[in-house]
Amino acid sequence: MGIPKRKNMINVYGKKDTYQGEHVGKRRQELLDMITKSDSFLPDSILHDDLDKGMLDYVKKTFMVVSDGTQIPIIEKILTIQRWGEFSANWEFSDGDGNVKLPFIAIIRKPDVQFGTNPSIQRTIPERHQYKYDTVPTWDGNAMGADIYKIPQPIACDITYDITIVCNKFRDLNKFNKIVLQHFTSRQAYTKVKGHFIPIILNSIEDNTPMETMDGRRFYMQTYKFIMLGFLIDSDEFEVKPAISRAFLVNESLGGATFKKRYITKTIDVVISTIVAGENQTIFTVGESINVLFNVAINGIVQEKDVHYRHLGGTSNIIFDLAGTPLMGDVVTINYYKGKNDKMYDQFDNELQVGRETFTYNGNDLSFTLSQKINTVISITTNGLIEFDEENYQLTDKNEVTLTGAPVNGSRIDFVYLY
Amino acid sequence: MNNKLPITRLGKFFSQDDFDINIQMGQEYLHGDLNMKLVLYRVDRQKTDNDDVYAEAGMDEIKFFPPVEFNALVKIDEPKNSTYTKGLMRYNEPGNMILSVYITHLNELGIDIRYGDYIGYADSEEKLRYYTVTNDGRVTSDNKHKMFGYKPHYRNIVCAPTQEGEFRGV
Repeated sequence: MGIPKRKNMINVYGKKDTYQGEHVGKRRQELLDMITKSDSFLPDSILHDDLDKGMLDYVKKTFMVVSDGTQIPIIEKILTIQRWGEFSANWEFSDGDGNVKLPFIAIIRKPDVQFGTNPSIQRTIPERHQYKYDTVPTWDGNAMGADIYKIPQPIACDITYDITIVCNKFRDLNKFNKIVLQHFTSRQAYTKVKGHFIPIILNSIEDNTPMETMDGRRFYMQTYKFIMLGFLIDSDEFEVKPAISRAFLVNESLGGATFKKRYITKTIDVVISTIVAGENQTIFTVGESINVLFNVAINGIVQEKDVHYRHLGGTSNIIFDLAGTPLMGDVVTINYYKGKNDKMYDQFDNELQVGRETFTYNGNDLSFTLSQKINTVISITTNGLIEFDEENYQLTDKNEVTLTGAPVNGSRIDFVYLY
Repeated sequence: MNNKLPITRLGKFFSQDDFDINIQMGQEYLHGDLNMKLVLYRVDRQKTDNDDVYAEAGMDEIKFFPPVEFNALVKIDEPKNSTYTKGLMRYNEPGNMILSVYITHLNELGIDIRYGDYIGYADSEEKLRYYTVTNDGRVTSDNKHKMFGYKPHYRNIVCAPTQEGEFRGV
């Protein structure tokens, strides 16, 4: 007895694209690129309006029913309580009495948006905690660094839509129903909102036809209830912070007889903001309140407050209108503390003060004794030039800094530190 | 252009001339004696900026054609003493305003009152209230709106008071 022939190599996916092996990673990258195509390294906000627009687009694209040779018009707006708006959305297919001509399809959104039931993004992380999304390299003109981009967990939400068809032919109902059932055989379909695929599920189908009307107007009306399993992403909640690799976030402090380096960035949030000057730009803003301003430099040369620039405590602006403006392309760096008030604390809750001291190099002694015990060195400048490299100095005592290289005789050495 | 149908009904007792003179007498009373004046703000639905999703305009974003003064018989319902929630958050605002306006008057002014348009009516020298049209009374096929069953001669327009956040004539 012969062995029955069997077909091998049946492509169960048909002609559709499949993602296996290395293609999975490529597809994921493609999806990520779609989400971040605005080139901000972060996803765009997705708010209620965007989800509603996604639903409108889906309905317009999918539910195209042709009746008597013409497409049944779809009211392409979410109707609200403003009466004139309702009229403006449907006047194109209204009759002389101002009534919408049959047939038509309307989209009604239930005003209440509930917490989401999508199991993949239900509320699982408390307190809107921020999570790392990406690390983006930066270049401030002097040193490579990185910014950490963080976003909280998206908020799952369910939005209910009633898609209603009103018509006076049974055949139109059938056509509409066929399209819906075809697209929702697996209960769900997807719309794309800013690169994200958002599922829509068909919840129920209701018939609201006033069949019992004997004397009045007769028409068919069916309502399809859809639930969009969306999520909200709000760019206002995004956080961009300098990574710890930034040179100015490094802190040196003394511990007993030996020296050690440690980072105290968890308690002292020192920020270096770098801005490339535009043409005739006089105001440079960091976008947040500057509570303690350590220094401002142009191309690495420290500027003097109230001589070269002005700054009002607590504001976010540095204004160069006293002795000329930076030239176009100059790199303006603003070194500041952005805490909630003008007090700073270390990890032991000790209040910190800012010390600013100036010395003149006498040609002999490279060690400089400061008046306070050094907690954190913010910056050391030689003749106004910031010593970026921590190898250019050492902490040799609790209140002493020693330069590793000799500057020119008579050089002015400025120290900014916390104590 | 649609064909015009001559109205010859009631011809033995009533004619177009009778119809016109009745309207003239009515207008003399309404416009001359009563002289109730209102201002119509017709929404310019093309120039009004509204968003793509909701067709909704923000504060003072509703554009309207030049306001037109017109005469009508005005009836305003008593104010309602209501609350937003169960017995709390009280509000008190005028009842609906029902206008009766001659169709010929609207035609003479070259205006039409549509669902959603706004109408201003002065309560006093200092206080102008705005209402939005909730029923433009465009359908006048019933006997009540036809003079002796001859032809429609007036429209009843129902308006609801509007909030400042929606429209304030600016």
